Amino acid sequence: MPQLGESMAEATIVAIKVQPGDKVAADQEIIEVETDKAVMGITTPCPGEIATIDAEVKGIYAVGAVLGYVEASEAEAARFVKNAPEPTTAQVAREVPGREEESAEAQNGSGSHFQVDETSLPQVAAGSHFQVDRAGVLPVPASAKGAGYLSPRVKARMAELQLTQADLAAIQGSGNAGRITIKDLESFLGSLEKQTAEDASAIRTGVADAMRRSWTRPLATVGVSVCLDPVLEDRQKRDPKPGPALYVLRALALALAKTPAAASRLIGGRAIRSESIDIGVAVEAQDGIMVPVIRNADKTSLADLTSRYTELVDLARRRRVTSEMTSGGIASVSNFGTFGLDWGTPIPLPDQTLLLGLGAGKKEPIWSEEKKQFFPATQAKLTLSFDHRSLDGGGAGRLLQHIVELLGKPGKL
Amino acid sequence: MSVTYLEAIREAQAHLLREDKRVFIYGQDISGKFGGAFKATKGLAAEFPNRVLNTPISEDAMVGTAIGAAMEGMRPIVEMQFADFSSVALNQILNNAGTQYWRTNIPCPITVRLPSGGTKGSGPFHSQSMEAIYSHYPGLVVVAPATVEDAYTMLIDAVAIDDPVIYCEHKYLYYHLKADALPKDRLPIGKARVVRPGRDLSIVTYSAMVHEALAVAREFSAGGVEIEVVDLRSVKPLDTDTVLASVARTGRLLCVGESFPWGGATAEIIARVATEGFHLLDAAPARINAKDTPIPYHPNLWSEHRPNAKSIAAKARQILAE
Repeated sequence: MPQLGESMAEATIVAIKVQPGDKVAADQEIIEVETDKAVMGITTPCPGEIATIDAEVKGIYAVGAVLGYVEASEAEAARFVKNAPEPTTAQVAREVPGREEESAEAQNGSGSHFQVDETSLPQVAAGSHFQVDRAGVLPVPASAKGAGYLSPRVKARMAELQLTQADLAAIQGSGNAGRITIKDLESFLGSLEKQTAEDASAIRTGVADAMRRSWTRPLATVGVSVCLDPVLEDRQKRDPKPGPALYVLRALALALAKTPAAASRLIGGRAIRSESIDIGVAVEAQDGIMVPVIRNADKTSLADLTSRYTELVDLARRRRVTSEMTSGGIASVSNFGTFGLDWGTPIPLPDQTLLLGLGAGKKEPIWSEEKKQFFPATQAKLTLSFDHRSLDGGGAGRLLQHIVELLGKPGKL
Repeated sequence: MSVTYLEAIREAQAHLLREDKRVFIYGQDISGKFGGAFKATKGLAAEFPNRVLNTPISEDAMVGTAIGAAMEGMRPIVEMQFADFSSVALNQILNNAGTQYWRTNIPCPITVRLPSGGTKGSGPFHSQSMEAIYSHYPGLVVVAPATVEDAYTMLIDAVAIDDPVIYCEHKYLYYHLKADALPKDRLPIGKARVVRPGRDLSIVTYSAMVHEALAVAREFSAGGVEIEVVDLRSVKPLDTDTVLASVARTGRLLCVGESFPWGGATAEIIARVATEGFHLLDAAPARINAKDTPIPYHPNLWSEHRPNAKSIAAKARQILAE
């Protein structure tokens, strides 16, 4: 089983296209395998005749496993012997004092009780199989010191100063493979001393921390246009008048009540789902954002939502929102349209999978197929950001379309 | 006036014999005109009659006799002809001397001098460094002076210590190292010394390897890289604080020892730094020792067998590139 992709550890055999005795050319596709990513073909390394096929369809085989043998000419076989990588022990040996001697001793078998009896290992004729046999051992990286490597010293210093890796983004590492050495870090910190600095507010650092944690996930955003005219008409009939964002919040709550799986969080291979549809509302407070949560938004009438919302916004602006008021939401709404923005890619809170953003409503000409003419409509963009581990574009799109439908009949919200 | 490392050892013994009636020296061919294989006791027998004594060729008996004398209140110095032969006396040193105080509450203030380390062409039986073995056992103090000054003061201090002391004197330094005069000040046993300050890499070593490390540090300094060299001076007790402080300054550690690689002082230093100072390390700690084979006779092989300025520099470059 060859390594067909960087992250591939094993693959399932989908089809075997040859039988023992078949003549094969070089690079002929003989086996189809499926990984978690794609279906791919395994090709022959050289021309010859299929000797045996040891693999079975639907079987799962680790990278390096023997799937079968190709009978090849001696010339071809010799070519593969030459290409086979050297055993790694010799390389390791040179770097450690005495290791060379130890490994030499082990190879000679002089007095070692732990010597491997090579005759007991599966013997594979060179060049006659699909891949050079190195099965049975874990691949060992040559060195773990990539650009992302943080030495114990750097980590300890970061912990001391409460720095995160995001704080180090500006440093170009001078170490092995571009890693950040302690000297790089210290000179970076030294350079900051020369600039003006003040302590960030607690709310700012809180937002920064939440966004950084959230950003560790694969986030995606999809968007759709929605006509706000029905909503704008409906709100004139209500007292108090709910803002468009509340209609959106209510629509999101009802849509999620239908498909609660869309808001589930994926943790350790388990989809975690909340019992109640609690929706957060992003409110700009001084120097940051607060997201107080409206409980059971699917079971709360728009009128009640409106008064609760007004209350929470007031509390948020006066910085009176408690941690209980901001915890436990399963999704949030951000009305960035109030800043005149058309669209954005909002970042969901770290403990939520979804964030629905509402852009500014604008009069736009919309083509009517029926009347064969343009007519003016108040259009706004709805953008839904989601954790792509929990939800796919299709699921997010369906949720968004459901919300658009609900907003088309605001009287029912 | 100048004084060599070997003369400092002789002067220290003369001083001890002069100042302390309890001191005597016990060894093979050290009395009479011969003055020992390396002349470390030359002239002392004449100056201090009946206190510089020849022994049979039995290291076992030599140390056993010294232990008995120490129990009776004496402060014997035992001279081994070569450190290598002290293995014949392992039972006396490890089992008897090392455990005595803990078994009996009677101290065992003996000092065993081990002419240690390699010189060209001396081969497997006359070149070994034994500090790792003795450091492994409780009850013993193990020192390895790297300078003329330390050779003098540490031998005097060794005799003053109530525990058995293994004094590893390096044969290569006997004639190669000179100082202007005997020292007036002393650093106590158990304290390491930063012999060259630096900020980029700490080389922690002892005995003759201090001078190889210093040569590397001078070479690197020309290129703007400052290597800090720490001379442990005593292998046991090991001055972990000074080592950690050095690693705190540089973030990188290379340990160099002339003894064999399996276990030993360099491994112990790395184990301690990894345990107590993991957060100080900006690169993986490394060590260089002799090769894991018996010591070869051939001068060229010998030069490659033990660490030298060239191999230390190569390893230093590797660590600095991390």
